[in-house]
Amino acid sequence: MTQSIQFSSISEFLDMGGYAFNVWSVYAIFALFIAVNLVFPIFRKKKILRDLKKRSAFERADTDSMD
Amino acid sequence: MWLWFAKLGSPKWFYDVSDRWLPWLIGAMSVFMVIGVIWALLFLPPDYQQSFTTRILVIHVAVAGTSLAFFPLMAVAGIITLVWKMKLADMVAKNAAALGAWFSFVTLATGSIWGSVMWGTWWEWTDARLVSMLFQFFLLLSVVALRSAIEDADKAAKACALLSIVGCINVVIIKYSVEWWNVLHQPASPLSMSSDNANGPEFWMATGVMIIAVYLFFIVSLILTTRNEILQREKRSQWVQDIVRAA
Repeated sequence: MTQSIQFSSISEFLDMGGYAFNVWSVYAIFALFIAVNLVFPIFRKKKILRDLKKRSAFERADTDSMD
Repeated sequence: MWLWFAKLGSPKWFYDVSDRWLPWLIGAMSVFMVIGVIWALLFLPPDYQQSFTTRILVIHVAVAGTSLAFFPLMAVAGIITLVWKMKLADMVAKNAAALGAWFSFVTLATGSIWGSVMWGTWWEWTDARLVSMLFQFFLLLSVVALRSAIEDADKAAKACALLSIVGCINVVIIKYSVEWWNVLHQPASPLSMSSDNANGPEFWMATGVMIIAVYLFFIVSLILTTRNEILQREKRSQWVQDIVRAA
């Protein structure tokens, strides 16, 4: 059961048999959905660590000033 | 036995183990995603009725199927939280709600875009599956809202656990709606590989790859958000402070 590429040109590929809007909007939504839910947690982690680092530096500076 | 159970509930254990597993899971997810998308977009033959819109179904089926896992997951985590008071379970459940809302939304959107072509309508209020999936979307948003509405973290956890258990009833409705009622949304096509099936074996194989890819994505995303939750809730602990210092 071999399959071949269903399109003979890039414009045919983009056209999707006349269903370009439907197919490509679905894949765009899907791509956005995947990207956001992978990238956002990664950025969030960096922010959390940054904030925790600032907080611990602040607390250390605070105790220093008590000498 | 309790020691093993307690260890399983340790956030640090989860953090360390997920550290080791994440690269493999992300790798596997990426491979399946790339293969699935390229297969669907480039290689799937046009259906004799649906032309190239079957490519939409590959995505829609994978996301829709996985979206049904959220309430069961949150309900199990909720029961563990309520009965054994295992904090880790709640840490997983907390972020699952928002991710589930995304899944439900994408299910509805992709299904609607496909329906606009194949059924001639973007929506159908008399279809039980559509309405119950919409309800799931709102219910998941409600869980998110409920969590932030309750100040006390423990009370919030309990409330969300209860709502998640109730939400599972809707999942049963979503799944069986196409069999119980005469609806627009077609019943699950028999998963036969014969080529006289409405969707040929190539479609089901591509969809199978996509289902695995989306499931892996679900696991990866959930692990990433749970790890963040752990870092925040356990920030006072020595091991988190070590990580912060090293960051």
